[in-house]
Amino acid sequence: MSLEQFKNRNVGTQNYVKLDLDHTPTSGWCQFKQVVKRTFKPELFVGLWVTLREMINALFRGKMHTTQYPFEKLPISPRYRAIHDMLRLLESGHYRCIGCGLCEKICIANCITMETRYDENQRKEVSEYTINFGRCIFCGYCAEVCPELAIVHGQRYETASEQRASFSLFEDMLTPIDQLNLQQEYQGFGAVSPNADENIKKTPLAY
Amino acid sequence: MSEVQTVDNMVTISIDGVEYKAKEGEYILNAARANDVFIPAICYLTRCSPTLACRLCLVEADGKQVYACNTKVKDGMSVTVDTPNILEERRAMMEVYDVNHPLQCGVCDQSGECELQNYTLEMQVDSQTYAIKDTERHTANWSSVLHYDAGLCIVCERCTTVCKDMIGDSALKTTKRGGDKLDKSLKDSMPKDAYAMWNKLQKSIIAPSNGTGSTDCSDCGECIAVCPVGALVSRDFQYTTNAWDLKRIPAVSAHSSDGFAIYYETKPRSISDRREKIFRVTNEWNFVSLDGSARFGYDFENEDVTKDEKAFANAVEALKKAETIRFNSVISNEEALMLQTLKEKLGVKLYNPEVRPFQKFLKLYSEASGKSLYNSDSTKAMKCDFVVSVGGALRNDSPGLKYAFNNIQKMNKGAGLYFHPVGDKLIPTFGKNVEMFIHKAGLEEASLYLLLDLFADKSKLPADVKDYIESFENGKLIDMLGGDSEKFMAGFDKMMKKKEKFVLMVGEDYYGHPKAENLAKLIVLLEETAGFEVVMNPPKSNALGVALICDLDDEATGYTVGYNENGDFRLSALGDGDLDLPAFNQQEGTVTTLSKRVVPTNVAIDYGGYVLNDLMAELVDAPRLTIDWTPYLPTDKGYKSVAFDDLANSFDNAGNDNRGYLLDVTTKEVELPSVEKFDENATLEGDIVYRCNPPRQFSDFSDKAHQIFEAFGLYASEERAKELGSKVEVVFENGSIEVDVVVDKKMEGNIVALSDFKSAQNVYELFGESRYATVTIREV
Amino acid sequence: METATMLPEVTAAGVIIKAVLILAVIAAIAGFGTYIERKVLAFMQRRLGPQHVGPFGLLQLAADGIKLFTKEDIIPQHANKIIFAVAPVITAATAFIALAAVPVFPDFTIPLLDIYVPSIASDVNVGILFVLGMMAAGLYGPLLAGMAQANKWGIIGSARTAIQFLSYEVVTGLSILAPIMMVGSLSFVDFNNYQADGTWIVVYQPVAFVLFLIAGYAETNRTPFDLLEHEAEIVSGYVTEYSGMRWGLFFIGEYANMITIGVIASIVFLGGYNDFWIFPGWLMIIAKIAFSFFFMLWVRAAWPHIRPDQLMWLCWKVLMPLAVVNVVITGIVMMIVG
Repeated sequence: MSLEQFKNRNVGTQNYVKLDLDHTPTSGWCQFKQVVKRTFKPELFVGLWVTLREMINALFRGKMHTTQYPFEKLPISPRYRAIHDMLRLLESGHYRCIGCGLCEKICIANCITMETRYDENQRKEVSEYTINFGRCIFCGYCAEVCPELAIVHGQRYETASEQRASFSLFEDMLTPIDQLNLQQEYQGFGAVSPNADENIKKTPLAY
Repeated sequence: MSEVQTVDNMVTISIDGVEYKAKEGEYILNAARANDVFIPAICYLTRCSPTLACRLCLVEADGKQVYACNTKVKDGMSVTVDTPNILEERRAMMEVYDVNHPLQCGVCDQSGECELQNYTLEMQVDSQTYAIKDTERHTANWSSVLHYDAGLCIVCERCTTVCKDMIGDSALKTTKRGGDKLDKSLKDSMPKDAYAMWNKLQKSIIAPSNGTGSTDCSDCGECIAVCPVGALVSRDFQYTTNAWDLKRIPAVSAHSSDGFAIYYETKPRSISDRREKIFRVTNEWNFVSLDGSARFGYDFENEDVTKDEKAFANAVEALKKAETIRFNSVISNEEALMLQTLKEKLGVKLYNPEVRPFQKFLKLYSEASGKSLYNSDSTKAMKCDFVVSVGGALRNDSPGLKYAFNNIQKMNKGAGLYFHPVGDKLIPTFGKNVEMFIHKAGLEEASLYLLLDLFADKSKLPADVKDYIESFENGKLIDMLGGDSEKFMAGFDKMMKKKEKFVLMVGEDYYGHPKAENLAKLIVLLEETAGFEVVMNPPKSNALGVALICDLDDEATGYTVGYNENGDFRLSALGDGDLDLPAFNQQEGTVTTLSKRVVPTNVAIDYGGYVLNDLMAELVDAPRLTIDWTPYLPTDKGYKSVAFDDLANSFDNAGNDNRGYLLDVTTKEVELPSVEKFDENATLEGDIVYRCNPPRQFSDFSDKAHQIFEAFGLYASEERAKELGSKVEVVFENGSIEVDVVVDKKMEGNIVALSDFKSAQNVYELFGESRYATVTIREV
Repeated sequence: METATMLPEVTAAGVIIKAVLILAVIAAIAGFGTYIERKVLAFMQRRLGPQHVGPFGLLQLAADGIKLFTKEDIIPQHANKIIFAVAPVITAATAFIALAAVPVFPDFTIPLLDIYVPSIASDVNVGILFVLGMMAAGLYGPLLAGMAQANKWGIIGSARTAIQFLSYEVVTGLSILAPIMMVGSLSFVDFNNYQADGTWIVVYQPVAFVLFLIAGYAETNRTPFDLLEHEAEIVSGYVTEYSGMRWGLFFIGEYANMITIGVIASIVFLGGYNDFWIFPGWLMIIAKIAFSFFFMLWVRAAWPHIRPDQLMWLCWKVLMPLAVVNVVITGIVMMIVG
């Protein structure tokens, strides 16, 4: 594509498409006509009708829009980057993290730290793992780089707490072993939200 | 540059159409590397023999496909690195290497510093053509430090090569893998060299060469360093961190006098404890090979020190009233200069029993020779082809010289003579042309006379010496030194064949020898009449620096301040003194190495306490920093007035050591010294104890490191240890010591070796200057 | 008139009781109005509105009251402190004084004390004039508030107050002149009685009604004419520097004025408190005022603001001429018919 059209900065010479607006009234009579037209055109009443209709919709047709947040929650998009989750292997229940340290490396806020060691089974074991949520910018690189889909962004977005550290240890993020059946697989970065269909609406310009 | 490049030993070759200068007789690969030209190669190690295991270095030279690692350059040679055929071969080779290689890069300790990964990407291997049934391969711990994962091994044989050609332990070999045979049809279908490489790969795996499950070696860990993949790692390091998290700090090994260039690799020790910790030590393994103390003896730092003002005030008081400062050789040049300044300004005595004999011997030597220092070093020694070691337990005292001794045999088709009262079973395994003389303690002069007899240009010798030598007929000297004269003389001509450069390695025994002056003169005579280069082994660490900088005294008197040594007041970097000072990995400064090089070392671990310079500022006068002393090192001793921050700290691609600077050696014309005859009957008789540390142990600092396991004790050969029992009391003339008996399977003969690395045991006092003592040994 | 003769005597006690009643009830309603406004606007935007304090959020009013009373009373450093303090009182006071001449509830007698409480605290015979006058005097509230607070937004707010209130006072007066001509009285009771036959004045005077509503919105500072404190343009206009209960007084005044306008519109144009079909008069007047109030909220939800220049243009070039023409035509028709 040529950049010519962008380089022409002489305002007014571009090919603007003009909206089909009424002409500006020139005489007093024209202005009066415009006022009368605007006054008695039902547009004002369209406005009144729309608001009234929405009120009726809300009150009597159950189309109230409000989600009463602390009491009811909307499902969040799988793309949302909330507090991290550490997933387990469904087969064995063992945590997936292999301690490769890529998340630690890629972390641009430098908030992930891990300790690994050689364990009794001659495997690399993650002995400690922590994310400093005071620093974390929730960029999602750690989840993106993880070769084992072990660290993912979870659903916990309510991160107010007396201690930032309350979320940050491996055990806090790890799926509890008794809730393994509820563990949600990571959908990936292009995933659509579960209620995506409901959320599709006509644009309000349709009227 | 260590060697002057002259026009006549340089040839011109062209690589990919560009002309380069190369040393004659060099391998194409080395010539290319020296000129910053990249030729892929996995198995080749500079300074070691080509193994031809990987075959990646295939190039076309003058129209013929050759391996760059074992083809020598010729004048006018035209080399092409990449031809279509070679590229195909290389890609096939990398595909073969990737066959069945476990995909555990995520946890592998190589963590990206992997040559397999690098070359796989370099050759753009994006698909796999080959496959074969995998063989079950087990992981194993080979020793207290070595961990081998056969699954990750690509059998490049670098570990076996370095162990054999450089270290000399030959503790590793290739063994049968028991893999499936390759499909015959592949022979025609796949590139020729790749097939041959795969064929060999399917048959071999690495194992300890003694046939057991564990290596019988000095635990130097060089095999770990050279491993291109994560197959060989240190047990302590395994799975503890990723390489990319580590901060590399160029430094100098604190233990042996070789001054090995090392990198301390540090990172915070844990999530809750953010203090830096050294996780491992690495090295430029193509250019320098470490011993076990340098690689594993790194965690001797003085931890958690804060500025204790009271202790500091006490230290100032103690130094003010001190008559003597006792110290050892684990000290930087700058600190040595500070102590010397104290001596000059406050008049204290400097007492250092480790270095004093060496200092005296150097003086004797330079008086006799007119040279301010010996003329060779470990790098130069490696280029010789006949090596003689006298007066030192090479394996224990000087890993660098041991490597050179071995390397000469392996790489230069060399020969070697080893004179020592304590036999060492390892030395003869270095090569066919190595002869070991286990002579009686006290006959050191005889060994030098024998060398004069064997090598000297008789016409140059003073007449009396010539006559004296000729008075020993029919190999009497050889027999006297414990050799078999007939057998030796029969083989000697073969040993001497095509030998051009001779080097004499002088060990610590000579320094404190009662006849040290005569020995020094004999060495000078050898140098002048037999064309020997001489290299001396400074006892430990920075002994050469101390010997050059400090004006040492013969004895300690009165109130003594010990610096890492015993004393009425102790300054210590070991954490047990009256005032803490930084350990060697916590301070910056310079070290004078065996190779007469002044090299900089840097701070790896933070230190919060007082340093010697603070005491100096209080006592006399001092610049702001310790390293501000560097330019004031004594220039009359060969030091240069160079600021610390201006010192280089690197190797170039050709392997030249550019660290720091070389000491200036001055030469005066002097006459040949007149030597004395030796006394045949001056030998020590009875139970003899030799002051000698086990390999990897040098001082309290190496002992503090958790991966150095060698114990303080009385080391003896297997037979002798049986006689002695498990614990003995060794009674000297002026005292006794109770120690455990430790078996050293590589020792030979009846002489036992008593460790001296614990300063608290005060072994130096027991021995006096000599390293040998006649004692009574009683079982406890 | 016939009904007047039946009424008991209006005593001072009755008037005081009435005044207190008006003050209490209207103030409460004004507060309640904020709740209603929030709820209605929320519903029209399909939201829930306040609902957590008390049942259906009814006690939100109390919560707001507590908040307003306990908030720190801040007087800016360079403000004219006396005027700054007096201005909100003027707004609230004029709004309530205006209600004195407006019939708010039907009359009743307190049974035991036998005190007659009239429907109008003070049935002056120039009731309408009094109410309009008082509302016009209310202009001093915002005007002084804006000027006293040493704040540029406040100054702009008070400038707008001056032009907007003064201009639309003309329209209000002219538009209501036509019904006054028809009824021939300035008393609200007469207006009510005029429409007792069930024919509302709005039928005769639709133009006057519309003009009165528009002008009324402008006088009460309601959308689409809330230029005095237009958040998008001048932060908060004349109330920028006010906090706590001082701020609250402005709003009690505004809501009281809204009710006053609702009452005037109901009585003058929409049949007053006459019975209608089966519905008794008191219910009708409440329903009419409530609808009037609701309509203000509805308009706020539906329509956007207009610009100050449009406001002036509309007043002087459209509404005022229309009102004059309406008065002239009313006069001519009355001449011909009457």
